[in-house]
Amino acid sequence: MSASHAATVSHAPAEQPRLVNPIVPLGVGAAGILLTLVGAFMASSPEATTRVGYSWLIGMTFWTGLSIGILLLVQIHHIFDAGWSTIIRRTHEHWLAVFFPLALLFAPLVVLVWMHPGFIWKWTDIAQVGGDILYTKKSGFLSRGAFTGFTIAFFGVWIWLSYRLRKASFAQDVDGSADHTRANRVTAAYGIPATALSLTFAAFYWLMSLEYHWFSTMYGVWFFASCIRGALALTTLLCIYLVSRGILAGIFRKAHLLNLGNLMLAFTVFWAYITFSQYFLIWNANIPEETFWYNIRETGNWWNVGLILIFGHFLLPFLFFLQHPLKKKNGSMIFICTWILAIILLDFFYNILPAIKVDGAHGDPVNFHVTPWDVTALVGIGGVCFWAFFNSYAKQRCIPVRDPRIVESLHLHE
Amino acid sequence: MSNNTFGLVARFDSPAAVMHAAEEVRDAGYKHWDVITPFPIHGMDAAMGLRRSLVPRFTLVGGITGFTLGMLGIWYMNAFDYPLAVGGKPMFSPMFAFPVSYELTILLSAFGTIGGMFILNRLPMHYHPVLKYDKIERVTDDEFLIVVEARDPKFTPDGARKLFQKLGAKEISDLEN
Repeated sequence: MSASHAATVSHAPAEQPRLVNPIVPLGVGAAGILLTLVGAFMASSPEATTRVGYSWLIGMTFWTGLSIGILLLVQIHHIFDAGWSTIIRRTHEHWLAVFFPLALLFAPLVVLVWMHPGFIWKWTDIAQVGGDILYTKKSGFLSRGAFTGFTIAFFGVWIWLSYRLRKASFAQDVDGSADHTRANRVTAAYGIPATALSLTFAAFYWLMSLEYHWFSTMYGVWFFASCIRGALALTTLLCIYLVSRGILAGIFRKAHLLNLGNLMLAFTVFWAYITFSQYFLIWNANIPEETFWYNIRETGNWWNVGLILIFGHFLLPFLFFLQHPLKKKNGSMIFICTWILAIILLDFFYNILPAIKVDGAHGDPVNFHVTPWDVTALVGIGGVCFWAFFNSYAKQRCIPVRDPRIVESLHLHE
Repeated sequence: MSNNTFGLVARFDSPAAVMHAAEEVRDAGYKHWDVITPFPIHGMDAAMGLRRSLVPRFTLVGGITGFTLGMLGIWYMNAFDYPLAVGGKPMFSPMFAFPVSYELTILLSAFGTIGGMFILNRLPMHYHPVLKYDKIERVTDDEFLIVVEARDPKFTPDGARKLFQKLGAKEISDLEN
């Protein structure tokens, strides 16, 4: 790196007045959280209160999933010593500020497991499931202590890795040492397996155990596929927004947009492959403990939701991403990324909501429906995430100016 | 101009020079011409005014054929020609036909891609007039060629030569068929 380049980066971080004041998303987030709380306490029946709890779980799953995906993208960048994504990586690193707030926001669900056993996860009420052989055989794994300990450990892993990755990257802005790049590669080398294991078991504890009779070895990979797809869609939207505000204008180029689109094509197929495999194996083996999970999703309007997922989660994005010109236009990419985020949310509804039964026990699931508290929980948690993101953006640079591969990324061609 | 002339070839000594020259040749309205370089040059497609390759169309046709063949084949064999009940499953279901159809989709997409590439590049091609050019080995190392073919409707030996001279070609020669 030339002396003149080093001289240009020795100034204090440039002012970025064109970005949203972090107070705004924080205010929106706080309002959403408060409204959700009001919803929980004003609920007309215990069932309605439980439903608000599910709203919170869906919101937590959505935002935590996206954030895990971004954590993985940063580590994948480092482990492959990637060049092209260097300018995008800093936006990711700013987003990684979300894990501590997310951990705090998840805490109420853990507290409720102890204060109101069976509130969301039926198996946490030992009095109810203690006589069920299908529970007792799993009781070593599905215990409240293990649930609590592992949830703390999951967030611990994500917070620790985010802290390491952010710290080294920001330090490199100051001293320009390549040692930070190496340190982050080492972090990624152990961080990727640690993230993979933690997201898999998080999916088991938080989502799969909603139906504690059911089990699927594909579930962790399914959650991973959703995380990465959501992370890529969110990244694209954030970068297009930052370009429109002038922050990444001239830095985030068409070639970056195209690469993100190509990655999204890959993970669209990956998601379909994993999701189909899960269905296919269960369909083929035809074991009652497994098939009931899909059987209840063929009752009521869940059948239609399933069809929307096949065509909207796979076929539409697949055909879209096969079109090269569409992947280079901001407008079409904004459309498909918003679509993908919405359909991922629908997929989480599909995975989570049928755990609520009409009769409160083992009957048919409630139909697919959206309550105002789903919206407030989603906006509330999302607002806090955006607060953490913009807060970090205001304090550190928008690209890693002294990364050894920054020039390569700035000159990316198709 | 004899019938034995393939075209005119010009040699350049830097990627920037050949890129600029390609833009000028494109703007001069030539259709049958090519740039020969030792390595891919970013932005050359646009400089030459090339459209996107048609190979993906062949890939798509191959993929759709493979998927359809897989589904039809399994339906024909297991549900029509010799109905066979396995594991209490229906005679035909897209579920169990899917993995095979999916594999055939990939296989025939690959065939379509390779076949399309051969067809569009008119491969195999064992001889090309430019191989007669005496400094062709430099073009596999550090020099760059532009060839304008005589069959181009705009081609005149003088016109092309003047254009190349204006563009600063290092050497301009005729090419025989």
